[in-house]
Amino acid sequence: MNQLFRRIRYLLNRRRFDRELANEMEFHREMADGNGAFGNTLRLREEARDAWGWTWIDRLSQDLRYALRKLRQSPGFTLAAVLMLAIGIGVNVAAFSFFNFFVLKPLPVRDPGTLLRFERRSPRNYASDVPYPEIAFFREHSRTLSAVLALDPSRLTIDGEQKPLTVHFVTPNFFHELGASAMLGRTLDEHAAAGPEVVLSYGFWQRHFGADPLTVGRMIHLNNKPVTVIGIAYKDFSGLSMENPDLWAAVDQQPYFLEGSKLFTEFPENGGGVKMFARLQPGFTAQAAEAELRSLAAQLRKQQPAGIWENESLPSQPGAYAKNITGSRSGSGKVDGDELYPVVALVGALVLLILGVACGNLGSLLLARGVAREREIAIRVSVGAGRGRLIRQLFTESLLLALLGSAAGLGLGYVVFRILMVYSSTPAWMNPTPDWRVIVFAIAIGFGAAVLFGLTPALQLARQRHRATTLRQFLIGAQVAGSCVLLIVAGLLVRALDRAMTAHPGFEYQQVLSIAPGLAAHGYSPAAARGYISALENRLHGIPGVQSVSLATFVPLGRGVATMGVTINGHPIEVHINSVDSHFFETMSVPLLRGRDFRGVDAHEIVISDSMARQVWPGENPLGKIFNSGAGDFSVVGVAANARLVAMQDASAAQAYFSVAAEELPSMFMLVKTSGPPEGLVPFVASIAHSIDPKVFPQVELLKSSFKERVQGTQYSAVAVGALGFVALLLACFGIVGLVAFSVSQRTKEIGLRMALGAAPRDILSLVLRQLSRPVVAGLVVGVGLAAGLSQILSKQLYGISHLDPLAYFAAVGIFALAVAFAALLPARRALRVDPLLALRQD
Amino acid sequence: MAKSATPALLQGTLDLLILHALQRGEMHGYAIAQCIHLLSDEALRVEEGSLYPALYRLELDGAIKARWGLSENNRKAKYYDITARGKKLMTQQQETWSRLSVAVDRVLAR
Repeated sequence: MNQLFRRIRYLLNRRRFDRELANEMEFHREMADGNGAFGNTLRLREEARDAWGWTWIDRLSQDLRYALRKLRQSPGFTLAAVLMLAIGIGVNVAAFSFFNFFVLKPLPVRDPGTLLRFERRSPRNYASDVPYPEIAFFREHSRTLSAVLALDPSRLTIDGEQKPLTVHFVTPNFFHELGASAMLGRTLDEHAAAGPEVVLSYGFWQRHFGADPLTVGRMIHLNNKPVTVIGIAYKDFSGLSMENPDLWAAVDQQPYFLEGSKLFTEFPENGGGVKMFARLQPGFTAQAAEAELRSLAAQLRKQQPAGIWENESLPSQPGAYAKNITGSRSGSGKVDGDELYPVVALVGALVLLILGVACGNLGSLLLARGVAREREIAIRVSVGAGRGRLIRQLFTESLLLALLGSAAGLGLGYVVFRILMVYSSTPAWMNPTPDWRVIVFAIAIGFGAAVLFGLTPALQLARQRHRATTLRQFLIGAQVAGSCVLLIVAGLLVRALDRAMTAHPGFEYQQVLSIAPGLAAHGYSPAAARGYISALENRLHGIPGVQSVSLATFVPLGRGVATMGVTINGHPIEVHINSVDSHFFETMSVPLLRGRDFRGVDAHEIVISDSMARQVWPGENPLGKIFNSGAGDFSVVGVAANARLVAMQDASAAQAYFSVAAEELPSMFMLVKTSGPPEGLVPFVASIAHSIDPKVFPQVELLKSSFKERVQGTQYSAVAVGALGFVALLLACFGIVGLVAFSVSQRTKEIGLRMALGAAPRDILSLVLRQLSRPVVAGLVVGVGLAAGLSQILSKQLYGISHLDPLAYFAAVGIFALAVAFAALLPARRALRVDPLLALRQD
Repeated sequence: MAKSATPALLQGTLDLLILHALQRGEMHGYAIAQCIHLLSDEALRVEEGSLYPALYRLELDGAIKARWGLSENNRKAKYYDITARGKKLMTQQQETWSRLSVAVDRVLAR
């Protein structure tokens, strides 16, 4: 410890200690005057200084200064190198920024460490939302939680706007617990029980009210109910959601807006509910809270045996991370694994490939530069530089380059991230400025890159072995493999996109619109819902242009999804479930392949998709077979053609249709098929649906728009991966041009000699290109293999295209071969123009 | 560097000799070298190139401490003195050394 302290003291007072050392030695020399030689003072001083252990800093700064000078001497090389690194590091930084944002970086709320999100789980069911009465029970009885928050996203209409607003009903402690204050006015207050009030989001205030500061205190109408605006939230207030809500209102007021709502009393079926967050009481762990909630749930089950599941537990997740607040799912059976990590692995692999290609390229460049620096290195060796010292110096240059590349990559990554933010509807509060994690990542990956591209060339150069072409060939092979993978994956995505745009998803979407009456939110009873629905059906049938109307619990391509994990006939299977009426197959144009559809309501009958029949009863007639859903037995009465209603990208998705049960009627959606373009009917249908019950504000949407949204994801990824593949291809081509040009310039004499002896141009070309063919072929083989392995992760996102789709592979390899041939022949032509006379006369 | 008349010092023994010399009281670098030279009946000459690195190592280690003072001829000089830790270190090294030299003698005697 003391030693370290003394060492640091020396480092800080280096100049003074150096001066003292000089003094001391001078004194010694004076004393020893005539008594023996003292030797070279400078050298002795350096040796003495060595004892302090800081010489490496001197050497490092020396090396850095030299490297800086060297890089400044060849600005072209430096620029090319930094640019290449910036691309390689930049895409990695951008990808990491997203990962950081979703997984590592807490939301900008107060004390994110103690905020938890709770979900429901039991051996048979899972749901991410919790019934409100259950949350209220926990709030009342929990000792391990200091505060319990609930969030219920809803859609309400505001006077004068067709599009519904996103309203988050939150417990009044929401703003206080998240440490948020209002930019204007005030936020919801848990202590002052007041009338209906809302807090506007910054974006909505700008968009709808033109940022008028007098908005606070104004009265607006939501679902025709008057409500006072009490404040505007800050722009960077995240709340606990990835959507950008337009406004927040107290959950106590929810029944005021949604007349008849049973939010406070009802335990919804099918895992419905609201999002539950909580703050840990200081001194308690998340495990303690989970244990307590489990026993509280068991207590509540005694009063509410239908509402609480058997053996219900409430696992928690850190609540202040984007990853844990997105999505809402429920179902039975086992929870399917986290889908995030395979995607992260794939994206990570792709962006690392780009960096790999850039590094391979830079490595070749460094080797080529080594030829130009032969003389310099020879001089340094002859004046006594050891190999280690040389390697250290050369590697310092690489490190400096990498550092510059990291800085440029950070900048580029920021720009890419900004662009991606615009296109991927990320929340407005998201801060794109790199935080310390991103900066550390950029530096670390720069260092890794320096090792990758700088270390081997430095070793080769120091050993004066850089003229050997083995390493060059290896680098070319690696670049070929890397860019080949990227091109193939891009090709697969383009094929998938093409399929998505042109092929039929198995159901009609162009001329269908959906109506979400939201009856359940208004506390409709099944009987009342039946009345509303048949009235609406009658009115809709009266509209010219309406072909058919049907009911479904889930809108195709909609936000809600229910999956069921079951094992039937020994086959474990994930089934997307939907409850529909008998008009559904006609409305959605899904043909029945076998059997019939439902005869009446409430029957224990089921229609399954062809893909499910094939997976569960391969080679058998599925009609009449029994499907046990866990809640009862259903007999299969029909097989429908595959319609990818939920997972449009996944051709093998299984689908099961139950017939609508009476108790499901309040949560029904209606689907309307039109004979012409459906756009014009939207406002008309909305006003009819509203007129049947004025307290209901049904939302009408086009299936076409959901379809477009779904395809857009694939579109963006195809464009992004395509761009990466193009950059990689370009880099690899640069590398090949460099390699061929280098070998031509090195073998000018040999070429001249061969020409003089009568070699034909063909022979000369094959001489120059021969060393290229092996690494390119090897790289292609490795690349195709890697791509086949990696793209497995994608196989469910390809709209039925196989991840081994031959067209994508051939196209990618073809493009690649063309580019490589072009890149190789361009410099190889120079070999043909060698003048034998001149070449042989060279020294 | 070592001339044949003055045997090269065994690795590590210089530290011991310096510490031993400093037991006589505080002295500057040149005096330490002289002291060792004289005490060895002029058999050992401490090379200046090894003396100062050794002194700095010992100082870093906390075995000796240094201060600036005036020399006998009124010149600024750096004086070294042994610390408690240095004394302990010296006893240890002395033991090691005697064990080593006895062992070497024994080997050479056969």
